[in-house]
Amino acid sequence: MNALLLQLFDNIDIIGWLRGIPDWIHGIIVWVYTLAVGVFNWAWGVFVWAWNLALDNWLLLFKAIVFPGLVFVLMLIIFDVWFTRKVWGRVQARRGPFHIGKYGGLQIFADAIKLISKEIIIPRGAKRWMYRLLPSFLLLVVLTPFAFVPWTSEWVITDLSVSLVLVFAFLTAVPVISLLTGWISGSKYTLVGGFRAASNQFAAEIPLIVSSVGPALLAGSLSVLQISQAQTHLWYVVLLPVCFVTFLVSAVISIGLVPFDAPVADSEVIFGWRTELSGVYFTLTYFAEFAKQVLYSALIVALFFGGEYGVPGFPPFLNFFLKFLVVLFGMIIVTSSFYRIRQDQIVKYSWRYLLPLSMLNIIVALLVLAYVPGLAGILAGGG
Amino acid sequence: MSPDIRDEAVEMWFGPQHVSAHGWAAKLTVVGDFIVECDPHAGYFHRSAEKVLEFRTFKQGPLVLERMCMLEAFLAEYPYISAVEQIAGVEVPERAKVLRTIMMEASRIHSLQFWWGQFSAELGLFAMTLWPWVDREFFLDTFEELTGSRHAVSFSTPGGVRYDFNEKVLKKLDRALQRLEQHLPKFKDMLLRSPTFRMRTKGIALFSYEDALRWGLSGPNIKACGVPMDLRKDWPDLNLAYDLVDWEVPVVDNPDHPGQSDAYDRMVQRFLEVETSINIIRQLLPQIPEGPIVDPKARAKTNRLPAGEAYGRVEGTRGVTTVWLKTTEKAQTPYRAKIRGPCFASYYSLKHLVPGSTFADFIVVFGSLDPYPGWWDR
Repeated sequence: MNALLLQLFDNIDIIGWLRGIPDWIHGIIVWVYTLAVGVFNWAWGVFVWAWNLALDNWLLLFKAIVFPGLVFVLMLIIFDVWFTRKVWGRVQARRGPFHIGKYGGLQIFADAIKLISKEIIIPRGAKRWMYRLLPSFLLLVVLTPFAFVPWTSEWVITDLSVSLVLVFAFLTAVPVISLLTGWISGSKYTLVGGFRAASNQFAAEIPLIVSSVGPALLAGSLSVLQISQAQTHLWYVVLLPVCFVTFLVSAVISIGLVPFDAPVADSEVIFGWRTELSGVYFTLTYFAEFAKQVLYSALIVALFFGGEYGVPGFPPFLNFFLKFLVVLFGMIIVTSSFYRIRQDQIVKYSWRYLLPLSMLNIIVALLVLAYVPGLAGILAGGG
Repeated sequence: MSPDIRDEAVEMWFGPQHVSAHGWAAKLTVVGDFIVECDPHAGYFHRSAEKVLEFRTFKQGPLVLERMCMLEAFLAEYPYISAVEQIAGVEVPERAKVLRTIMMEASRIHSLQFWWGQFSAELGLFAMTLWPWVDREFFLDTFEELTGSRHAVSFSTPGGVRYDFNEKVLKKLDRALQRLEQHLPKFKDMLLRSPTFRMRTKGIALFSYEDALRWGLSGPNIKACGVPMDLRKDWPDLNLAYDLVDWEVPVVDNPDHPGQSDAYDRMVQRFLEVETSINIIRQLLPQIPEGPIVDPKARAKTNRLPAGEAYGRVEGTRGVTTVWLKTTEKAQTPYRAKIRGPCFASYYSLKHLVPGSTFADFIVVFGSLDPYPGWWDR
C-alpha cells in the first residue's frame, strides 16, 4: 500500500504544478473577460438594431405608444369614466362630478390618485401572487385589441387579415380572469361573482360573434380595417339593423353593464368578483371595464356605422370619433335606465332571442342582396 | 332537506357587513344558486328601547319611540302618546287631531317614497332611487319648517301637538304634494310598467292571506292579498281625524292569483297607499278648525300618571304598530312599555318565503316586505 502511494507522489511534479497556477488564473480571467465583452457586444448590437428599427419604423412606434395607441386609449378611458359619471348623474337627477377641474374633468385623476395610494389588503385565504398578477393581465388583455381599431385608414396601429377573430380571442380571456380572480380571492361572494361573470360571457359570446359575422360576410373580409373600408357607399347598419342591436346588447352583457351587471351586482353579491380587490388592483379592473366599453363602441362604429365615412368634407378621424361618441352615449343611456335582471334570465334571453335574431338578420340580408338588383354593386367590398 | 343536498350546501352570511344589510344579518344555506334554508338574525340594531322607556318620563317617551324608525317618526311616536292619553284621560283639541292626522299621512308618504328608492337600488336602477328622493326632500323641508328637525320631529305630545301650522308650512306642504302628484304617473311608469322590473318581481315571494295571518304580517303586505285590513278603519281612533274624511282602504286584487300577493302586487299596493294618503291630506287641509293645539291641562296631568294600563295602536307605514303601557300609582315613568313593531313579523317570515328562491332573489324578497331593522330590535 505504502509503496503504491510513494510511487504515485513520485510521478506527480508538485512544484511544477504550483508554477502553473498563475497561468491558470490568467486563463480564467481572460475567459470571463472575453465572455463579458461578447455579451456586452451582443447586447449593444441588439440595442443598435432596435434603435435603427425604431428609427426606421418611427411611425408605427408613435402609433403604438401615442396616438391611436396607449396614451390616446388611456385618455379615452378617462374621458369615458368622466362621461359615464356625468350622464348617469344627469339621468339620476343629480349633477355628477363638478368640484375638481372644469365640469369635474379632473375628478377622475383625483380618484385614481386616491385609489392607487390606498393600502392593499390581501385576504388571508387569497393566493397572493395570483391576486397581484391577475388584474394587470386583465387590463393587458383588454388593451391589446385596440391595436386593430381603425380610427382612420391611416391611423390604425396594425391590421391583420383575421383581426376581427383576434379581437374576440383576446376578449374571451376576460371572464377567465374574472373567474380566477373570484376563485383565488378567498371569499364566497367573489366566487359567486366570478361564476356569474363566466356565465355572462357564456350567454353573450355566441350572439356577439354571430352578429359580427354579418358585416364580415358583406365585406368579404375578417379584417376590421377592411370591413370599415368596405362601407364607402352604404353603412351596414342599413342592411343589418337587427345585427347591430344584438351586437350592442351582447356587448353590454359581455361588459357587464347595468341591466346585465349580475357579476358585480352590489345589492346581491357586494361587488362580485372584485369584492376583495383593493387599491391599485381595483383601479386596474375598474379601468378594464371602461376600456371594454370604449372598445366595443369603437368596434360598433367600425363594423356597422361605416368607420371613417360619414359627412363628406369632414376629417375622417372626426367622422369616426363623432359616431363613436354617439354610440358610447347610447350605451351609457341604455345602461342607466333598466333594472338588473337575474343571471338565469340573462342566459335564457340571450340564447332564446339574441342568437336567432342575429342569424335571421344575416339570412334576410343575404336574400335581399340576392334579389334586389344593383345592391351588390353599391357594396364596395362585394357580397 | 334530504341529507344528500346537505352535503353540497354552503353557508353564506348575508350581512351584517353586506352593503344591502343595514343592521341585520341572515344565514343562508345555499345549494347551487338556490337557497334551501334562511335563518334571519335579529340583534344587530339593538338599543334596548323598551328598557330605556322605563327610565324616561311620559313626555320623554315619544322621543325614544320616534328613533325606532326615523322614516315614519310622526307615526312611530303616536302609539305611546295614545296610551298615555288613555291612562291620563286627556282630551285632545279638534285642531290638534286634524294636524296630527295630516302629518301622520305626510310621514307615511315620505316613508313610502324612501322605500321605492331603496327597493329600486336593490334591483339595480339607481335613477329610480334618486328621483323619489328628490321629491321626498320637499316633505322633509316641510317637517323642518314645522318642527325644526327633518327626522326626529317629536311633533305630537300627550294632549295635542307641540307646533302649530303657519302659512309657510301650508305652502311647503302644498308644494310637496303638488310635486308628488305631478311625478306619480312617471314613477308608476318607471316601476310598474318597466319590463325588467316585472321580470324581477312577478311571482317572487308569493304568499296567501292565510299565510300572512299566520306569520303576523300587517299593513301593505297583507292588504296586497286583497283583504282590507287597516287599523284606520277597523279601530277608529277618536284622537285622530279619519272620520272627517271620505276614503276607502286600498287593496290590490290581482286576478292572476286571487287572495295571494307577490312582490309586484306589494309595489302596486304601496302606490295605492300613497294615493290614499294624498287624498286624505287634500281633504283635511281645508277642514283645519281654529282653536288651541294642545290641552292646557295635559302638561300637569301627564307629570305623574295614575295606575293603569293602556294599549295604543296606529296603522304605520309598514303595518300595525302598538305600544302596551303599564303604570303604577303616581309614577313618573312607566312600569313597563311593550312595543310591537310591524317588521319583526315580516323579517322572520323570510324563514318561510326565502327557501326555494335563487340567491339573487333573496334581496328582492326582503325588500318587497319593507322591513326596517329598528322595529325588530327593541
